[in-house]
Amino acid sequence: MRRKSVLSGALLAAGAAVILLPMAVMVIWVFTERWAWPDLWPQRFSLRAVREVLHRSGQLAGVLSSSVGISLAVAALSVIVGLMTARAVAAYDFPGRGLAVFFTSLPLMVPVTVFAMGVQVTFIRLGLNNTIHGVILAHLLYSLPYAVYLITDGMRALGTALEEQARVLGATGRRAFFRVTLPLLTPVLLAAFSMAYIVSFSQYFLTLLLGGGQVKTFTMVMVPYLQGGERNIASVYSVVFLAVTFLLLILFGRLARRWMGHGGGDFYG
Amino acid sequence: MTRRKAAPYLLLLPHILLSALFIAGLAAGLSQSLGVIPALGLTEPTLDYYKEAFTRPDMLRSVLYSLRIALISALIATGAGVGICAWLTISRRAHDRLVGLVRLPIAVPHVVVALLTVLVCSQNGLLARLACLCGLIDEQSQFPALLYDRAGVGVILAYVWKETPFIVYFVLALMANVSESLGQAAVNLGARPWRAFCRVTLPLCRNTILSGFLIIFVFALGAYELPFLLGATTPKALPVLAYIEYIHPDMRHRPYAMALNGIVILISVVSAMAYYALMRRKVTALERGDGA
Repeated sequence: MRRKSVLSGALLAAGAAVILLPMAVMVIWVFTERWAWPDLWPQRFSLRAVREVLHRSGQLAGVLSSSVGISLAVAALSVIVGLMTARAVAAYDFPGRGLAVFFTSLPLMVPVTVFAMGVQVTFIRLGLNNTIHGVILAHLLYSLPYAVYLITDGMRALGTALEEQARVLGATGRRAFFRVTLPLLTPVLLAAFSMAYIVSFSQYFLTLLLGGGQVKTFTMVMVPYLQGGERNIASVYSVVFLAVTFLLLILFGRLARRWMGHGGGDFYG
Repeated sequence: MTRRKAAPYLLLLPHILLSALFIAGLAAGLSQSLGVIPALGLTEPTLDYYKEAFTRPDMLRSVLYSLRIALISALIATGAGVGICAWLTISRRAHDRLVGLVRLPIAVPHVVVALLTVLVCSQNGLLARLACLCGLIDEQSQFPALLYDRAGVGVILAYVWKETPFIVYFVLALMANVSESLGQAAVNLGARPWRAFCRVTLPLCRNTILSGFLIIFVFALGAYELPFLLGATTPKALPVLAYIEYIHPDMRHRPYAMALNGIVILISVVSAMAYYALMRRKVTALERGDGA
């Protein structure tokens, strides 16, 4: 028994190192001026890279707001459309239901590169090419499958008993949904929101091709530094944007937990 | 009554519109892969571009390179992810903080994963420095070239780091649930924890594990960032080669790009069909009555 716990402790430490060590190295690179072979620790630190990024603070602020704005919009749309779609598929039996289910997961089977190169002609024709709206629409298509999956799963776990109870007690269908089911689904909706945000925030190729360099997001700005071998500046951008992402995700998680604390949590899961 | 009948379709309306756009994009790509580009006066469908894609040596090498990377990384990530899930459920450690740690890489964009891979795995990265400290090597050049290599080791490592947590995220909730109820029942009836896991919990999670595998396999097959940033000059991954042909100033190169994309679709359709066949086998096993 003792040996077993030592073994699992070692496994745990190794796993944590694999996940955290690369991130730690990246944070060190933010402040690194000179880090020559073969030392394990940089010889000289400086704030040059941080200053260089801050010097163009207009650019940083612009990219930050457009990047986060696009992903928030995509996440909000994913939750709304995902909720409608999940509701239709979970609560109704209708001709074409199987087809609808098939289409919800189709984007997972078609890589973004294939879709983006195919759809560009259509985007140009619709006037969506090189616009923020077009980029949001394209991101939405790839965030939606995750949102639909999570929300459908949550609806199934919740069941229909409570909503039916509300109907029996005299609530209209709309009232029963908005006053009973929707509040109980809130934690699931926040999980879907987070996932959709992450998927949108990570996009590179869709934004590159359909944004055409006009739509600046974090990945668009960061990649040239990575290609140019400017590790410290690429690290500064990555750390700033990851910090913003994690802050937002923690915020969404807190909101979900607070909501569950107000009752409802007992019924869910 | 009619309103009730229309309700699901009204709810589905936004999704139908989005799906229509999606299909339009796919159809445009496929028709171009058959050489139909009216703007260039090409209207006769032909399979020539596909034939050429399968006979041009550089294109064939790209197909094999992409398949290899996607298959190996998806197999390792699925194996490791299921292993972590198994360990978390059997030792009952599936609590918030640990799961939060494992999920961390899901929120890291692929371009940042590329940066991390460069910082850790390149010939003057952390691993090479550790190897030097341990006296395994003296010079940077003695460290194996994991990046920009023909075997795609760096790309595979990066995918495994990023996709293993996705498998954990995708499988853990279901596995913990099944293990708590039916797995625990098997243990109460006298099965050892590992045996209960292998004979009860794992088979019941099989379809979800297969779905997760399929998602990350198709993703790695068609993703651009990692092979573009970490891959070799030759062979190029399918999406990288397709994009080069796509942005070629001579528009007549475009059908090649689309034919390469068509091959990606072909591979994902075949894998999806294999997936459904496997799912169905599970169902017939249940119908025979030897399942749960």
